[in-house]
Amino acid sequence: MNTNCIQFILDNEAYTIDWSKVDFPPSTTVLQFLRSIPKHTGTKEGCAEGDCGACTVVLAEVNQNNKLTYKAIDSCLLFLPSIHGKQLITIENLATKTPTSTSLHPVQQAIVETHASQCGYCTPGIAMSVFGMYKSGKTPDKNLIIDALAGNLCRCTGYGSIIDAAELTCKSIKPDHFTQNESMIREKLIEINRSGDAIELSFHNQLYFLPKTIKQTLEFKEKYPQAVLVNGSTDIAVRQNKTSEFQPQIIDISAVKEIKQIITNDNDFQIGAGCNIENFKIFIHENFHEFSPITDHFASLQIRNIATLGGNICNASPIGDLIPLLIVLKAQVKTASSVNTRIINIENFITGYRSIDLHNNELVTEIIIPKKDNDSHYYSEKVSTRRDLDISTLSIAASIKLSSAGNVEDIMLVYGGLASTVKRAKLCEDFLKGKRFTLEMISEAIQLINNDFTPISDARSTTEYRIEAAGNLMLKLFYSVQLNNNNGF
Amino acid sequence: MIGPMKNIPHESAISHVTGEANYVSDIQLHNNLLWGHVYFSPKAHANIKSYDLSEALKIDGVVDILDIKRIPGINQLNALSHDEPCLADGKVSFIGQAIFLIAAKNRETAILASKKIKIEYEELESILTIEDAMAKSNLLAPTRRIETGNPDEAMKSAQFRLKGKLSTGAQEHWYLETQSAMCVPGENRNMTVYASSQNPTETQNVVAEVLGLQSNQVICEVKRMGGGFGGKETQANPIAAWAALLADATQQAVLMQLSRDEDQKITGKRHPFLSNYEIGFDENGIITSYIVDLHGNAGSSFDLSIPILERAMFHAENSYFIENMRVTGTMWKTNLPSNTAFRGFGGPQGMAVIENAIDRIARFLHKDAAEIRFKNFYQIESKNLTHYGQLVKNNKLPIIWNQIIKSSDYFERRQQINHFNASHQIIKRGLALTPIKFGISFTTAFLNQAGALVLIYKDGSVMVNHGGTEMGQGLHTKILHIAAKELGITKDSITISPTNTSKVPNTSPTAASSGTDLNGMAVKDAITTIKKRLKPLVYRLLLAKDPTIKPTNIIFKDNYVFPKSNPAIAISFSDIVKQAHFEQISLSATGYYGTPGIFFDREKGKGKPFHYYAFGMAVSEVEVDILTGNTKILQTDILHDAGKSIHTEIDKGQVMGAFMQGVGWCTTEVIRYDTKGNLLNCTPDTYKIPGIGDFPLKYKAELLNNANNPNAIHQSKAIGEPPFMLAFSVWLAIKDAISAVSNHTKEPDFSLPATKEVVLISIKKLKESL
Repeated sequence: MNTNCIQFILDNEAYTIDWSKVDFPPSTTVLQFLRSIPKHTGTKEGCAEGDCGACTVVLAEVNQNNKLTYKAIDSCLLFLPSIHGKQLITIENLATKTPTSTSLHPVQQAIVETHASQCGYCTPGIAMSVFGMYKSGKTPDKNLIIDALAGNLCRCTGYGSIIDAAELTCKSIKPDHFTQNESMIREKLIEINRSGDAIELSFHNQLYFLPKTIKQTLEFKEKYPQAVLVNGSTDIAVRQNKTSEFQPQIIDISAVKEIKQIITNDNDFQIGAGCNIENFKIFIHENFHEFSPITDHFASLQIRNIATLGGNICNASPIGDLIPLLIVLKAQVKTASSVNTRIINIENFITGYRSIDLHNNELVTEIIIPKKDNDSHYYSEKVSTRRDLDISTLSIAASIKLSSAGNVEDIMLVYGGLASTVKRAKLCEDFLKGKRFTLEMISEAIQLINNDFTPISDARSTTEYRIEAAGNLMLKLFYSVQLNNNNGF
Repeated sequence: MIGPMKNIPHESAISHVTGEANYVSDIQLHNNLLWGHVYFSPKAHANIKSYDLSEALKIDGVVDILDIKRIPGINQLNALSHDEPCLADGKVSFIGQAIFLIAAKNRETAILASKKIKIEYEELESILTIEDAMAKSNLLAPTRRIETGNPDEAMKSAQFRLKGKLSTGAQEHWYLETQSAMCVPGENRNMTVYASSQNPTETQNVVAEVLGLQSNQVICEVKRMGGGFGGKETQANPIAAWAALLADATQQAVLMQLSRDEDQKITGKRHPFLSNYEIGFDENGIITSYIVDLHGNAGSSFDLSIPILERAMFHAENSYFIENMRVTGTMWKTNLPSNTAFRGFGGPQGMAVIENAIDRIARFLHKDAAEIRFKNFYQIESKNLTHYGQLVKNNKLPIIWNQIIKSSDYFERRQQINHFNASHQIIKRGLALTPIKFGISFTTAFLNQAGALVLIYKDGSVMVNHGGTEMGQGLHTKILHIAAKELGITKDSITISPTNTSKVPNTSPTAASSGTDLNGMAVKDAITTIKKRLKPLVYRLLLAKDPTIKPTNIIFKDNYVFPKSNPAIAISFSDIVKQAHFEQISLSATGYYGTPGIFFDREKGKGKPFHYYAFGMAVSEVEVDILTGNTKILQTDILHDAGKSIHTEIDKGQVMGAFMQGVGWCTTEVIRYDTKGNLLNCTPDTYKIPGIGDFPLKYKAELLNNANNPNAIHQSKAIGEPPFMLAFSVWLAIKDAISAVSNHTKEPDFSLPATKEVVLISIKKLKESL
């Protein structure tokens, strides 16, 4: 394969895109690409920002155990080069067809039988999400079904029939034609992925690099310090789709395997910055379940499958869902450049509104999270207009340590959505430190919220609501300590 | 067999699930397709001082840019009121108004070009809200009024009176497929329009008008829409007109599709309403007088605002007999995109006010709201005349009430919820039962008509054309069922053609829930005509086999034709058709239907605007987190009257879909503008329609049994809109839960939607008042 190419599998065949020959830039999204080639218009654009799932496709790739894993993703959020070495499965691939007959995949058959399509525009995306679940190797229950479909909006059915379809499909998961072709696909993918060389794509107005190692990444960083770094591209792709913001230089680290792992040490966890949010969600559930109310409702499965821990931190958004809990957990950010590495406390790493302590030649490689302090009580809640697939109106992650006498020894109250960055309610914390943890004290502390924060009114909510709810979340922390039982809602 | 037809899948279900179903932007006919793009006004109200397109035209790949001077026909998008310029004429009156049209080789180039357009505005003062418009007396049209009895006297003498105000919000349609059209120029400037329109005839008319053509030079075809909900009743016309202008100017095929953000910003929404009311009642909760003033925000032009207002006024009393009542209605003109049809068409806005008022009566009297509702229902023999003088016939309210009160365990659950609330501080539960009575027909009487064209081919296969459009509601599937039953053949030998103005002319929009009622009748009429022509032939052929048969007892069934007296001599339908062709009998026919007896005298405010009514009730239970205002639906029970359902699964699908869309309007869907008229919730990132996680934890919906409707095709009932308003059960259950904070002693502040903000601030005020 020459160097200006990527290769992936589509319709069971290797598909090569050579940027010496095509007239679209490498940062073309997978959705745009699909809709430009014949017979692949089943994948729909509903919003071009990952908020509707009409463009859902499934990516299959070879995992560490040499098996294929299948993941539903929003094709509007993915730049083409990131599917290099993967199998792209679209709605057109589910049924098996002869010139005169069509044999539906069980996923499709169930949608037909339960009358779960009305206008049909969201249906391909719905089918692909259910297909992703069908191939996940998990035993689906109602929760898993809701989770797998929270990223798909439907305006016609009201969802009940879609839940029925997914339940019907999952009653008996059997090998399908993808299972039959798996070894053939695997061999092809292994062949495509054989080279460890970085891919450098050059188009007339764009350079796009796809390194495979940290070392290669840092070399590109050194050479192209202005290049924008993407992994899941869930943010940069939206900006490109919505505001035509075009990046002339992109370093895509989605193929860097070294930064995806989770390592458990005696005293801490080392989590690769490239760990996707879905894996991080599972990690949180297993190790810090008190924060699952946040991670369980992070965007949608399609987004969590590609968005990364590092991406969420480096975006440094005031409503970045993971930052509050990482601050409470006293996480540290590890960076690397070709000359040195640094370890920075996450509170210091975030320096302002969407600004971080990271130099042009540096890469965030991992996040270090100390193990749980069993003497502390943790609490979290994400408040949003809609429960799933919504950005926080505000959120809280908190920890509190009480002395045996019931006094507050240590407390962290970290709020998202109330200031230009994720921010601690320092005045409230200081007020409570050393005091008895009673309803009266909490009520007094809540009065200080107004001094800690002056939130804005915006499209999502009002100042009045945010202040009232911020205080109430402190009350909920109190009740959760009382119950020692973090119910969320 | 016809038997299993009840549950045939949607006629496009297999195309849907395989991705083969084509929508406008999927049509891959034209290699040299141009992309059409609109340059929209960024100002709510301004004069255009000057503009310069020269830099934009220089961009490589830009084929043409049109301004108002390049419109060959009439600069109009509204076929009736002529108050919507196609391109701005020196002045813009809302953000999103089209000023220029760009044709380019692709979308990226068109966007680049739009950024190079230079334009200068002189900003004018804009009016955005109903209150603004009232202060400046900016009426769209004079106030309307419907009155019955003596509301003022009855109010004065009422034992109790409550006054109030209710605001109900706008709602974005959020059809999954944004507005789109493809236009293909033909010979002699003829134009073919592939539209995503609920109203192909009006799309055809508008395109003909802007191009300066006659209707017979424009064909509009609609295969299907990716959702409509009213948003493509009039507002699919602009994009078709824009694409047609570009296709005409460039003589190339042009595709236009709005991006999601553009669609949300520039298209109209459900009308927000602000309503003032006073309600008089006695100690038993019987309403003795109701006076309500409905005020709607029309946006910048007429669009459908007046019929929407009219429907709001017709539904101001919902399911209740109110002897003395006055409803006035006013539409206010503002500098917003013109608000438009949306499922329910004003009905929800009118009904919300009385439902909230009844809820207040119950709290005031310390009684259960469901009981107050029951006491005020329209009755069967008496108390059955509406404020506009129509008799409520075939009233299903009492029977539905009796069934759902039991099947939902309403009163038992009321007790359980009281217990729950007594022992829970953070989470409160609420319960509400709400009814609907919804009038079926276009209130603009002449629209209640439809046409069809049925073609039988020599091989016995059948193509049915009708004037209705498929937007997911299952109309074509129901028509397929009707045609199969009328012809006595199986559905696999019938196809429904795309809706096409060259097949059936002068169609009404597929709206007002009337698609099956009107078009089903027209299809039946066409088939009756063909069967009449076939019958002498059939009789002759059968008589040759059995000389004793009677001509009156011939049956078309299961692909065969036979005399009732001797089914054994049946001849296949396809053989009959073949023979008919040999004997020079025409095998195609048009059909027509106009709903009889519909009228309304606007001066007197009396008449019979509806052919019949649909009824339903819902009971919902919710949970509210009183510290965040978050809500969750625990259970919903629905009993809905769909007449003798033509397709129970499609009808149940409409009930569920409409209910959840109503839940969105009542809970999470918020439209906010800034002071300049910019829509803040212009992306799905900030505008939240319900997701799968918002579906009730328990949901049970049934269609009312033995509910044959004598007034419509195959005794069925219209289903599209009525169940939308069943979502009031969720809205008022939330209010019930809020009210539990004060142990139901205080009336909470409330509005629609009941967002977490509305809920939390309401709870805050309640707590402060305790």
